[in-house]
Amino acid sequence: MQLSLSPEDQTFRTTAREWLAANVPRRRAPNDGRPARDFALAWLARCNAGGWSGISWPDEFGGRGLSQERLIVWYEEYVRARAPSVLDCTFVALNHAGPTLIACGSDEQKGFHLPRILAGESIWCQGFSEPGSGSDLASLATTGRVEGDHLVVNGQKIWTSFADIADYQELLIRTEAGSKRHHGLSWVICDMKSAGITVRPIENMAGAVHFAEVFYDNVRIPLSEVVGDLHDGWRVAMNTLAFERKTAAIGLQLELSVKVEDLIDLAAPPRGSAIAERLATLRAEAAALRAMTYRTLLREPETPSDGSLVRLCFAELAQRVNRTAMDILGADALLENAWTHDYLESYSETIAGGTAEIQRNIIAERVLGLPRVKTQ
Amino acid sequence: MTCDLNLSGEQRQIIDAAAAMLRTEYPVDRRRRWVADDLAAAAAFGMFGLGLPEGDGGAGFSLVEEALVHVLSGRHLVSSGSLATALGARLARAAGHAELADRLVAGEAFVCAGVPAGDSVLLMERGEAAFALVFDNRDFELREVGAALASEESALGHGASVERIPRVSKGVIARSAEPRMLAIADLLVSAQLLGVAEAVRDLAVAYAQVRQQFGQPIGGFQAIKHHCANMAIGAEMLSCQLDMAAIALRDGREDGAFQVAALRRLAPHVALANARLSIQVHGGVGFSAEAAVHHYLKQAHLLSRLGSAADILDLPAPLAPLVRVQERN
Repeated sequence: MQLSLSPEDQTFRTTAREWLAANVPRRRAPNDGRPARDFALAWLARCNAGGWSGISWPDEFGGRGLSQERLIVWYEEYVRARAPSVLDCTFVALNHAGPTLIACGSDEQKGFHLPRILAGESIWCQGFSEPGSGSDLASLATTGRVEGDHLVVNGQKIWTSFADIADYQELLIRTEAGSKRHHGLSWVICDMKSAGITVRPIENMAGAVHFAEVFYDNVRIPLSEVVGDLHDGWRVAMNTLAFERKTAAIGLQLELSVKVEDLIDLAAPPRGSAIAERLATLRAEAAALRAMTYRTLLREPETPSDGSLVRLCFAELAQRVNRTAMDILGADALLENAWTHDYLESYSETIAGGTAEIQRNIIAERVLGLPRVKTQ
Repeated sequence: MTCDLNLSGEQRQIIDAAAAMLRTEYPVDRRRRWVADDLAAAAAFGMFGLGLPEGDGGAGFSLVEEALVHVLSGRHLVSSGSLATALGARLARAAGHAELADRLVAGEAFVCAGVPAGDSVLLMERGEAAFALVFDNRDFELREVGAALASEESALGHGASVERIPRVSKGVIARSAEPRMLAIADLLVSAQLLGVAEAVRDLAVAYAQVRQQFGQPIGGFQAIKHHCANMAIGAEMLSCQLDMAAIALRDGREDGAFQVAALRRLAPHVALANARLSIQVHGGVGFSAEAAVHHYLKQAHLLSRLGSAADILDLPAPLAPLVRVQERN
């Protein structure tokens, strides 16, 4: 077991630190809408100009192809420099759509979309969940009927983050009539400007408008927009999710360590006080979360589901950190500010992308080997 | 590869060898009748000199391997003397008592753990030990213990003996408040607590797979699954932090003290929480003295009393932001 950086990696750290110090935006990112889009795209374009876009993507697709060590170094410097959260409206493009196209897309699809994603020219959203298909994704019912060289899509998606400001959507639909569960699905690139699409934004409990319902009324999508094979969308989608649970999470998980430091700074707690005790534990937990993040990257997993442990640990720790902020703020917690906003947003951590309950089932069944819950 | 958290071939070997020795010499079943362990087999394995240089009669392994072996020791509920003897040998060596250090490494003498309690010291499972390592908050001392006992009591009622002796300066051989020595103690105590946390998780998972109710193994019910998942998360968190702390301490990195303090703060929480959940998953059996799980709970309480736990808020954080938030907005 080793955790030491080569002199070249140390030089890389200095380069990253200097670039970030000179380029990180001074103001906090807007919460939603057009201003959020403009801010995120400008930041990504700036990263791209500096050679820092698509850092984990392979070189041949325009990425930086960083080694695991350098990804760690980059994200350590990224969070310490207070660069914008990686979970902004460019997240899906950089961490879901792009890597999925790299793994499963055609040359035309890759050639068109990858450079636009890297340059900060397109926003993607994810069309997976439906009103009747939340945790149970495989029950999804939005259909795509093949008609000549097009798919005709009808149905509804929900909880689609940034649908109102996105250019494209990774859309998972049932293309084989009468198919069940994960069979007969297709992963399709949907142009959000297509006729027949209606986006109805939903305000969340933090007062931000991130997510939306998306309705499809005879939306015509060329068959050339199917990624991977027709009816093979489940395999393509699983590829996306697996990627999300590893690399993209580094920045989010390390960000929490910085947040705990900010809280300690904010509270300046007298030693031995109850709040000092809580902060000491949070600091230790954030350190352990970092250790878990590194092990996920630097050790062969024993089961493919090992990543669920760190993911759930992160989600619940993020909530505890934000909850502690409310107690530190006292009466100020009743006013709208960045801490209270993040506190309210943190309720989504144990719901979005697989609820904590589903994650615990996965850990119990796939990591610990307890009996599986039967699905039909 | 400069960063790699896989176990090396050598690390796997030592873990396998230690696991085999512990299965043979210290099977958990022996705890049905609790007497202080004879630590001769552990000494013969080399457990008390693992981390000492070969020139000092040790095996020349690093703190990483030593910590991994203490995890296994915790899983087998080996008497706390295993910690005290390993640390005592180090302390004796550092204080210039080379002959005593050699005897401890060779298994010719043993050290038991001592916990201060007011103006006396509680000796845990003294057995044949002629020495005690007394863990105080900010230092520890290695001392001789005489034959005469003030009193004998039973620790948490599970059969481990506790002897109360007066806390006097007579008989003290060495004392250390050296930060690295304290950090090593915290690392190894935490390693044993991780062993407890892992063992109770595995006991619960195994029981949930065989215990049937309502016509199915109880491990099929989500309420039980979620308890088991929580134990797995706690153990994983602690295990990752143990690696981090052991590597940092081994390599003399500047965040060593921070990583150990984080580890030591979490270890008792996780071990006790897992023991509680495991007892719960075992149901009525878990509350009985028959099942092994209560021994782990009691061991976790005992181990939690050992070591210092430096205040993590006093130490610089490795991922501290480079600019204060107030200067930004």
